[in-house]
Amino acid sequence: MKSSRRNFLKNTGLAIGGSLILPACYYEPAPFRFFSQEEAECLIAICECIIPADDAPGATDAGVIYYIDKQIMGHFKKYQQIYREGIDALQKDCKINMGFNFESLTSDQQVKFLEMMEENNEKLKNWVSIRPATFFNMVINHTMQGFYGAPRHGGNKNYMSYRMLGIGYPQIVGQNRYGKGDSNG
Amino acid sequence: MERGIAMAKKSYRAIVVGAGAGGGVVAKQLAKKGISVLLLERGDWPIYDEHINDELISQRTWVLGTAFGPDGEKHPRVMVRKDGSRDIVKPTDGWDYNHIASCVGSGTVSYGAMAWRFMKEDFKMRSTYGDVQGSTLDDWPLSYDELEPYYEMAEWEIGVAGDDAQNPFAPPRKKPHPMPPFEYNKEANVLNNAAKRLGLHPFPIPMLRNSVPYNGRPACIRNRTCCGFACPVDGKNGTQNTSIPEAIKTGNCEIKTNCKVTEIIINDSGRAEGVRYFDDKDKGSEAFADIVVIAASAIESARLLLNSKSKLFPNGAGNNYDWVGRNLQGHAYTGAFGLFDYDILDYIGPGASLALCDYNHHNKGIIGGGLLANEFNRLPYLYTGVRPPGLKRWGKEHKDFQRFTYLRNSQVVGPIQEMPVFESRVQLDQEIKDYWGMPVPALSGERHPLDHEHCKFLSARAEEILIEAGAIETWQSVGGRGGPSGGQHQMGTVRMGNDKTTSVVNKYGQLHEIDNLFVADGSVFVTGGGFNPVLTIMAIGYWVGDHIVDLWSGTGLKS
Repeated sequence: MKSSRRNFLKNTGLAIGGSLILPACYYEPAPFRFFSQEEAECLIAICECIIPADDAPGATDAGVIYYIDKQIMGHFKKYQQIYREGIDALQKDCKINMGFNFESLTSDQQVKFLEMMEENNEKLKNWVSIRPATFFNMVINHTMQGFYGAPRHGGNKNYMSYRMLGIGYPQIVGQNRYGKGDSNG
Repeated sequence: MERGIAMAKKSYRAIVVGAGAGGGVVAKQLAKKGISVLLLERGDWPIYDEHINDELISQRTWVLGTAFGPDGEKHPRVMVRKDGSRDIVKPTDGWDYNHIASCVGSGTVSYGAMAWRFMKEDFKMRSTYGDVQGSTLDDWPLSYDELEPYYEMAEWEIGVAGDDAQNPFAPPRKKPHPMPPFEYNKEANVLNNAAKRLGLHPFPIPMLRNSVPYNGRPACIRNRTCCGFACPVDGKNGTQNTSIPEAIKTGNCEIKTNCKVTEIIINDSGRAEGVRYFDDKDKGSEAFADIVVIAASAIESARLLLNSKSKLFPNGAGNNYDWVGRNLQGHAYTGAFGLFDYDILDYIGPGASLALCDYNHHNKGIIGGGLLANEFNRLPYLYTGVRPPGLKRWGKEHKDFQRFTYLRNSQVVGPIQEMPVFESRVQLDQEIKDYWGMPVPALSGERHPLDHEHCKFLSARAEEILIEAGAIETWQSVGGRGGPSGGQHQMGTVRMGNDKTTSVVNKYGQLHEIDNLFVADGSVFVTGGGFNPVLTIMAIGYWVGDHIVDLWSGTGLKS
């Protein structure tokens, strides 16, 4: 128990150190449960706009895509169709209005496009069963959950966001549960 | 014939439905006097390790589920909108569900544990403030002085840390709190100085948590994940670790968990004979007793009465005057946020540690009011719901806001005393049934327009304190619109009163027209005070329990 816990903390440091030297668009290639590779690339780019990396990790580093991909096969099953249709509509409108797929735009262009979605801009014509702002709002919520929630749900890898906020990670609760000296202080 | 079967099957003197703040206490009061009790709970025993400190599955943020139920697809409700449209809502669908924990102990497992006594005026709202148009505001048939000894029982038996000597607005008491108050955290120290400079009277919040070891359990470790979570060291006091184990220890109380009660059996002469329920294997079953006590929380208690139709009560038990399910109330929370240029939060749990009652009553132009306190710790995802007006909710700007203000914000906030509204109500839905085939509760109605006005008043006072405390930016969060209200503080749906045409139970929680059927939870509240209701629900549990024992001793309830 004790030694595996120490290893965990050590690995945490490595992971965070490692993420800092990688470009913002980096993500670990892994098979997704629900999303196709193309859908995932688009969604990763949206999430990264919502929480962009700077000197602290962003949505991509924290594995937000894995949070959404994991939950959508379970508790978020009801959002499967919305994600599928939403990403498709977004890409179509993106090509019409900006000339490229969403993930190929510069980050300034991406933000501009998401702002159009936020206001349900009339130039966005490919949305059938859901409004662009409603879709984007859902992705914002899920991104925040994946970035700031508990790592066991797939995101917030190694408590990255807790570290950014300056709060202890992982939380030690109930001193009676762990050996003496085995704290994060 | 039917009667004969009932008699033969009877193996308990009393059945209590719901093992929360009210039912858990009633069961103990009866059991310790030798009255055998069957305590039925639709949830299970809570287990800390199943959800530990996971923010996304808790009783405060339930985007991926609730830690202590209800959860999943079995317990839908219907929310009737202002335009008449109806939405089916599930427990994790947000606030519309008006979710309350379902487990042994119910909300007392995972609450923030503020232990308020209502003030004298809270029992005399109509006498104090007069009639309010559009509201069923009224006096309780029960006074503070009558309930005072029962508050004391709750404080000493369940365990409260506090010091009323520091609160000049506290109602009179005979005995002090059993444990000393908690020390302030850093934020509370800052607010304490500011409030005193403004001439206010801040004091440490009375808490159902152990400031010192008590009742054989350890002191609180000031864990940051307290409100919304179970306690890892069992230093937080609820009925699950006090009155319910005590009831079981007497040998007179059997608790059955995962049992879903669907109907109170009322015979043709208008007396309660027992309950119908589905057991932990979803098998239909019946239990019979001399006394039935309902304590399933305001929405579910009303639903159960409404679903218990009989010859003399064709519209549900005690509902011949159409008052069951009416006056659903809760607490609109209102206050203000402040940002500071230093880390004002030291993250010492549970967060909330200072309060003031200067604005609970006798505010000019306001009916009632509410306490103000600093807020319980918000975990990082919950904090994404906080930002000043105009700040972007995504992108670099929002990330920086999270990052630089997470420990530099303070919220001063409190529950406003709501004006009860007759049309805010629980009904049985005509179409939707739950997993067991019982009609689900349909919730409808709007808050009284005065609630929002009262919230504006209290939010402005909260902002004054934050400005005095040195906040570099402040903004108000004003509640009290929409509805129906309810939430985790749900109250009012089985009103207590002296007149059987304008209330459902008498001052002892006994149905006016069914003498062996009682209600003992927040349902019986006439008004909700500007305070968290749990200690008053516990006090009502002791009060109703002792009354049943008195009646029983006089054999008034044996059949």
